Amino acid sequence: MSAVLELQDVCFAWKDRKVIHGANLSMGKGEALALLGPNGSGKTTLLKLAAGMLQPQSGTILLDGQPLEALQRWQRARKIAMVPQRLQVPFAFTVQQVVEQARTPHTGLLGRLTETDRVAIERALELTDTAQFRHRILRELSGGEQQRVKLALGLAQSPEVLLLDEPAQSLDVGWQRSLLSMIANLAQEGVAILAAVHELHLVAEFFPSSVLLAAGEPLCGGVTQELLESQALHDAFYRAPQGVGRTQAL
Amino acid sequence: MNLRQRIAAHSANPGAVTAVLAVMLPLCIFLSLALGPVPIPLSGIVSELAGRHTLEPTLHVILFSLRLPHILATAVIGAALGVAGMLFQGLFRNPLADPYVIGSSSGSLVGAAIAIFWFPAATFYGFASSALFAFLGAALTIGLVYLIAQSGTDGSSNSLLLAGFAIGTMLTGAAYLLETFSSDSSAGLRAMSAWLHGTIATPAWPQLGVIVAMLGVGVFLSWLLTHRLNALAFGDEYAAQLGIPLERTRAAVIVVGALLTAAAVSLGGIIGFVGLIVPHVMRMLMGPDNRSLLPACALGGAMLVVVADIFARTLIAPSELPVGILMAFLGGPFFLFLLRRRPEVYA
Repeated sequence: MSAVLELQDVCFAWKDRKVIHGANLSMGKGEALALLGPNGSGKTTLLKLAAGMLQPQSGTILLDGQPLEALQRWQRARKIAMVPQRLQVPFAFTVQQVVEQARTPHTGLLGRLTETDRVAIERALELTDTAQFRHRILRELSGGEQQRVKLALGLAQSPEVLLLDEPAQSLDVGWQRSLLSMIANLAQEGVAILAAVHELHLVAEFFPSSVLLAAGEPLCGGVTQELLESQALHDAFYRAPQGVGRTQAL
Repeated sequence: MNLRQRIAAHSANPGAVTAVLAVMLPLCIFLSLALGPVPIPLSGIVSELAGRHTLEPTLHVILFSLRLPHILATAVIGAALGVAGMLFQGLFRNPLADPYVIGSSSGSLVGAAIAIFWFPAATFYGFASSALFAFLGAALTIGLVYLIAQSGTDGSSNSLLLAGFAIGTMLTGAAYLLETFSSDSSAGLRAMSAWLHGTIATPAWPQLGVIVAMLGVGVFLSWLLTHRLNALAFGDEYAAQLGIPLERTRAAVIVVGALLTAAAVSLGGIIGFVGLIVPHVMRMLMGPDNRSLLPACALGGAMLVVVADIFARTLIAPSELPVGILMAFLGGPFFLFLLRRRPEVYA
């Protein structure tokens, strides 16, 4: 299977603080990967690098075999979508208006929608079960409903790669289960999904494969269940913040 | 859903709201043409505008040399401030931002003060030196604020807002310093005061033509920016991943907003609240999509200032109140009303 998204020895530092240490990753079409790691390990940074919102200090990111930096902004936005952790919209946009905005990379300067755009929007609303509240105002929805709309937002962009930053955050366990299940099903639509998730108790149920990002370590990947039981994961989450007592990665 | 519920849900039909405004604005303009210290019959106005000279010569002169350019100027000021308000509120993702928020009013104040105290007699293409210098002051200040926000900060909307506030505060102080050191006669101080209070001048036709052209260009460019402005509402991070060039878009919004503000300022001095109230009310009526808001803000802004000008010219006739002062009396209570109605939005 040819890789849709490929990270080759990607390194990134915020000023003097090195965050990503030689990350290697390859994702095929329709593959869903959970990105695990403790707070501050660089999950959001890695997603932003993959989305082309940050430039790596070294290494290469390939999208469909092409270096990310060789693509125009809009070309990149047509292939890769990133839904941020927080989406605070200060004005009273309805769910429909919010999801329509996701078609921006596919529309002209004025954002006029074509039939293709409308079909993509309807499909995104349908797959995320959000069509029922399309006319409600986004910021007036419950946390779980808002997370589903965020998912619809990513899907409506019709990307080949969907990057999700903690899509199930601040939800109770019932909502977490329903949302992660929805994400796993979306991969069957042919979208490659890389989702930063904190719900270690649920991840194996919905993501067969995962990657672990531990502070100061290279990215390591494998079967989710094995990764969850590994010493590397234990060290990543329970070791001292300074990184004392590291063991080898998987 | 009845009209009240639709308004509560910000879902009044944008086309209908715009159409109502498009009908009401000309009616307000006609009413304004008729009212004043010297009343002019409406039938006479209609026939004069149709090219038939039915009014006596004095009324003809009042209509075409005084009242019509003055009222068109008020409409242009209102439209420019309404659209500029929409642009700045969208840019700063803040319903309380207004055209003067990033220091442009202070810049124009310094410009006007320099002109009033040092070049009071100079004119340029029919414009008083104060109008020209106010324009330059506003444009230079916005350029400076933008450069400061881009260098040494993250260039975000908040940096712009803070840089604008800091520069604006300094420039306001500078303007008052100029006033303090001025050895000018009371004429200069009176001109400065009229400018500060938002007294709308009656422009010469060529001058009005230039400002109308500025408004036309500003509104057209704003229209091209509306969809991107919608994307900016979702935050810089999300807008960037949609492929929106953030810095270029912000710079374009600021330049267009400055052009519109300067157009308004050069005709009427400082008239606050229009850029705040109009986009705010339109957003409450029809939702936040800037593509629908643009025509409504232009028409609504024009109507608000035309109506305010009617009151300004008739309340204490034959004297006139400055429209800027009238707007302050209208704007203050309006925001107190909003604060009581929806405090959570302004927390």
